[in-house]
Amino acid sequence: MNRNRALTWCVLGIALAAFVTSCSKTPDYKGKIGVTCMDLTNPFFKLIANVMQEEAAKYGYEVVALSGELDPAKQNNQLSDFVAQGYDAIFLNPVDSKAAGEGVKKAHKAGIPVFTYDVQVTDEKAKDMIVSHIGSDNYQGGLLAGESMMKVTGDQGKIAIITYPEVTSCILRVNGFKDYLKEHDSKLVIVTELSGKGNRSDGYAVATDILTAYPDIVGIFAINDPSGLGAYAAVFKAGKTEQVTIVAFDASPAGKQAVFEKKLYDSPQQFPRKMAKGTVEAFIKYLNGEEVPKKKFIPCAHYYYEDSVNDKSRVAEQW
Amino acid sequence: MTRKLLNDYGMFFVLLLLSVLFSVLTLKEQMPEGSAAAAQLVEQINNEFKKSDIILTVGAVNTGSGPFAEALFKDLRGEGFSNVDKVVGIPRDLRLKLDDISAQGGVLAAIATTGDVPKWLVIELMPEKYPEFSGCKVLAPKSYMWPVFLKRSNLLAIVDRIVVIALIAIGMTMVIITAGIDLSVGSLIALSAVIGTLLMKKMGGLQAPGWVVLVGFLVGILSCGIVGGLGGFIVARFKVAPFITTLGIMMMARGLAFMITGGFSIYQVPRALPWLGQGRPLGIPNTVVLLAVLYVTAHIFMAHTRLGRYIYAVGGNKEAARLSGIPVKFVVVFVYVISSLAAGLGGCIQASQLNTGTPNIGIMYELYVIAAVVVGGTSLSGGSGRILGTLIGAFIISVIQNGMNLLGIESYTQQVVLGAVILGAVLLDKARSGGGLLTFLQKKKKY
Amino acid sequence: MEDRTCTCIPMLNELVFSGQYVESVLSCELRAARCRDVLTYSLAMLTCASSGGEPVLYPVIMMAKDTKRCNSLLLEMRQIDKSFPGVHALKNVSMKLRSGEVLGLVGENGAGKSTLIKVLGGAHLPDSGSILIEGQSFHILSPTAAQQAGVSIIYQEFNLIPELTVRENIFLGREKTRMGFVRAGEEHRKTLQLFSKIGINIDANTRCSELTVAQQQTVEIAKALSVNAKIIVMDEPTATLTAREVGRLFAVIRDLKSHGLGIIYISHRFDEVFDVADRVMVLRDGKHVGTEDISDITREKLIEMTVGRPIESEFPRRSSNPGHVRLRVEDLCRGKAVRNVSFSVRAGEILGFAGLVGAGRTETMRLIFGADKPDSGRIFINDVETDIRGPKDAIRNRICLLTEDRKGHGLVLIHSCRENFGLPNLDRFVRGLFIDQRKERKEFSGFVESLQIRISGHEQLVMNLSGGNQQKVVLAKWLERNADIMIFDEPTRGIDVGTKYEIYLLMNRLINEGKAIIMISSELPEILGLSDRIIVMHEGRIKGEITDVANSTQEDILSMAIA
Repeated sequence: MNRNRALTWCVLGIALAAFVTSCSKTPDYKGKIGVTCMDLTNPFFKLIANVMQEEAAKYGYEVVALSGELDPAKQNNQLSDFVAQGYDAIFLNPVDSKAAGEGVKKAHKAGIPVFTYDVQVTDEKAKDMIVSHIGSDNYQGGLLAGESMMKVTGDQGKIAIITYPEVTSCILRVNGFKDYLKEHDSKLVIVTELSGKGNRSDGYAVATDILTAYPDIVGIFAINDPSGLGAYAAVFKAGKTEQVTIVAFDASPAGKQAVFEKKLYDSPQQFPRKMAKGTVEAFIKYLNGEEVPKKKFIPCAHYYYEDSVNDKSRVAEQW
Repeated sequence: MTRKLLNDYGMFFVLLLLSVLFSVLTLKEQMPEGSAAAAQLVEQINNEFKKSDIILTVGAVNTGSGPFAEALFKDLRGEGFSNVDKVVGIPRDLRLKLDDISAQGGVLAAIATTGDVPKWLVIELMPEKYPEFSGCKVLAPKSYMWPVFLKRSNLLAIVDRIVVIALIAIGMTMVIITAGIDLSVGSLIALSAVIGTLLMKKMGGLQAPGWVVLVGFLVGILSCGIVGGLGGFIVARFKVAPFITTLGIMMMARGLAFMITGGFSIYQVPRALPWLGQGRPLGIPNTVVLLAVLYVTAHIFMAHTRLGRYIYAVGGNKEAARLSGIPVKFVVVFVYVISSLAAGLGGCIQASQLNTGTPNIGIMYELYVIAAVVVGGTSLSGGSGRILGTLIGAFIISVIQNGMNLLGIESYTQQVVLGAVILGAVLLDKARSGGGLLTFLQKKKKY
Repeated sequence: MEDRTCTCIPMLNELVFSGQYVESVLSCELRAARCRDVLTYSLAMLTCASSGGEPVLYPVIMMAKDTKRCNSLLLEMRQIDKSFPGVHALKNVSMKLRSGEVLGLVGENGAGKSTLIKVLGGAHLPDSGSILIEGQSFHILSPTAAQQAGVSIIYQEFNLIPELTVRENIFLGREKTRMGFVRAGEEHRKTLQLFSKIGINIDANTRCSELTVAQQQTVEIAKALSVNAKIIVMDEPTATLTAREVGRLFAVIRDLKSHGLGIIYISHRFDEVFDVADRVMVLRDGKHVGTEDISDITREKLIEMTVGRPIESEFPRRSSNPGHVRLRVEDLCRGKAVRNVSFSVRAGEILGFAGLVGAGRTETMRLIFGADKPDSGRIFINDVETDIRGPKDAIRNRICLLTEDRKGHGLVLIHSCRENFGLPNLDRFVRGLFIDQRKERKEFSGFVESLQIRISGHEQLVMNLSGGNQQKVVLAKWLERNADIMIFDEPTRGIDVGTKYEIYLLMNRLINEGKAIIMISSELPEILGLSDRIIVMHEGRIKGEITDVANSTQEDILSMAIA
């Protein structure tokens, strides 16, 4: 008898928890949108998810945001679940541009429209199934970074790039950077290009090694703020803050603050809010039967110290 | 007999209970689709509308509402409704059609549809955009309640998501029954996927014929088997603890996978690759068939062959087994080889499901595999456990993950719940076999 | 300090007085009492009749006698009843234990001894009945409660932590601390005090893993005393002790007796029971058969009470017709454990191996069976030199080994009887790739019947069987193999009298079928009663051989085993 009682309690407990959680969602939504990104712990994506939720609610849609946790298989499973649950749309930020194609194909076969943001799907069959993609113009942002780097170094000396080759958006930034330098016949010499895995600690480690190998570099371009800030820490430790200038990317809250504190020279801005709103708008247009552009790129903008001084959003630590 | 079945496979009832629970919690209004639903509406339209009215049957492409629209269109035409038209596509197509009708000065009498189509903004905002259609009715068949959990597509999704873990759990069950553990399986998934797809790429890539895929798979699986054999040898011959041995192999395999690929994914894979993981030759997915075949084989092996018995004996009392003449070292190496071969196969299936070879898959999978084995009733101290129990354990994990996704529970909450359920399942199992929980509940008794 | 009237006559041999002849003690009056640890000092005024005719008053200091304790009822268990699923283990069993006495507890395996002791020790809750200690009723709900009530149980498998020192083990869970730090000095002092009381001479700072089994046992006893145990239960304490150590143990027990403790002594070795116990209590089938003063009962009567029927002889009679030499061993060596051992054994004979624990008998047999690798030496089976590299080779050559430690090396405890039976025999039950389970079950049933194995079913887990039945399962699995050379290492250890007899009968049957049996045993009566020849080993070497067993005595064996 005791064992049965224990069994019942356990099950009731689970049921209660699940029920309460599911009940706490307010009714009266017309439908659901499934959102999955590569890593919800990244404030960039968290912000986008939140804004999507706000926007979609205005049109009567509920957003369920999941994290792909950098696991392509997990993300495909999430897509399957969205399909099974009969969601009205899917907003996808792929962990792996090709692998996500499989999930997209499933969604398309079930008639659910898929919109991508920030990172595109590159699988040859699946990419045509995407209704619309919206993202920063990473290539153009790279050009801006190149421009800043040439300006601040006086186009003289050696520089290094801290990149993140697993993510296509970062590859585009680096390409833009290099192309700008080439097109303007820059005399800057890129001595090395290493992966900082997009985070602060790896950026720090890599930058330390770069400074050891090339003690006379004058600039570092990092493909996002975390790796840029990591590089700054290494430069600071080596006592070379006067010698080395860092250009990062994103203009995240941390990046904006760093520009204000003159740790970074420039951090070409992304506009995650625009990305989020843009995705929702694309979906609504689709529902309305309007034509939706296949790709929409939001240009980046410079973010210099001058921009940071009176920037209210920086003070409020917002994007 | 039933008593024994109950004892051995008690977790089956937990699985049943969970399924019932999620079915109840995911009851949702469903719209009937297909031709039967169409027939329902025909009658209604006959009664309410004139034969000359303009009526549109609308369906969303690739969903069940498509055939519905087609069928209804045919039926209505058959009934003599001459101004019936159909739109099967995306909202834009409907918009263009409405523009057409409006341009020709017609008045739309009704839109007949089903599924999610009524939610299209085109239809919702029709009174604003097309005031001339003010009297237009939107018709849909009556809805019914059915758990989303039990939809065919969802049940297949449950199997699909757990296939890799369940497969590897076969090997892990054997290892754990010998009182060992294999932490390397997650990394071996990546290693096999990467080696296999790299070989496929070198042998022709995108244009390569189907047999190349097979060769790639075999090489990937075999390399894992060799690695596993090495680990088993170290455990058996040098008596190093399995935990440490397989931990070392886990790190080496993962590093190797990243080294081989330079951290990138391998995209140039043959077109035939997805067939294993996603193909459905007989209406049932390949993976389901593979799972069934392998589990039945493994069950028969463990329960009815000598080597199977030896595995139990080695786990139950290694020295007593040795003194009974059992080749203990061989048995130990064998189970680790099987475990790695299974991991290799899992990697092939995952590569097939993702249609790509990446080195960062399978991370943390070993823990889910072990959880499936333990939840399924196998004891970590060795000597007991049932293969089919592991299958049930794997399903329990998959059902819970799927159910929580369906209920829209947040990712991190999901992890907490999953951990709690695993603990609960194991405690329940102990209570069943009269362990600490039972006496804890009985302690209050006085004499 | 209280004035109390003595309610009993103290033991005369404790009195110290100045040379006057005392005819008898008329009465005694306790004047003062002080308790210090286990020992109690009492000051009493004795009124004695003297030769002078006038009663005389003598002040006397008495040791270790609390008036309440002296020879009074220490423990009473009344009407204890306990059932488990399927088994009615104790049927209204009652027992009395007086202070200062040793009560032997005897009975077959499954008779209920261990259940009774576990009830006393708080490991089981009885269904009904009560326990009184020194007249006070106790509800013993847990081992801790038992300890607080003054009950200490020393199980066969000691509760010592091998990696900790003697001192740490004694104070385990009750460390003397000041502000969180253990006061090792004080613990050490207390330990030495304890040891001196019972005459132990062990360095308190040695790790328990480095002590001999006998020394570990004394540490267990010291531990019991350190928690002020009033009642000590010893479960099969001499199973792994040498004769000399057994003597030491008995001395300690007598010491404890004199301090007023009550001791329950469980053993299958009736010799010892007769040696050390004051009274003996017999359980059979969960019932209390009887309790007698040891001086009032004979060995045969005790056996009869235990088994329930008269036994004409403890060792079955048979004739011996040895045949050809089945096994010959030449110059087997393995380090210091086995030194140049050579012997042979013939078909149809039982060769007994005697010696102290650690003499090298088990080690030699393990070499023959291939469980260990010899450094040098040759083995001849039926006069053919054979290379035995592992147990598989030995089994193929029709040798089998029933290990000394059946639970550790002979059985897979969590598996069923049938599975254990099948383990070395699966090649006989295989049809193609699969095991023919029906055949396995049939063969096993055959043995269940012929060996009279008492189990509730084939699938019963081996760990739930009594020691005797476990041994029978081990026997069955080797008999199925039809080995020609059978090595029995301590075949009847921990087994009750009735089952022992059955096993002896079985051995005779095997001999008559032409098998050769080597038997290692530490029970000298057993060796003398069963063997055709006896080899005595000492420190790895063969010391001697006895061929005329019928006319040999235990001293003959011991003299070779010890010297």
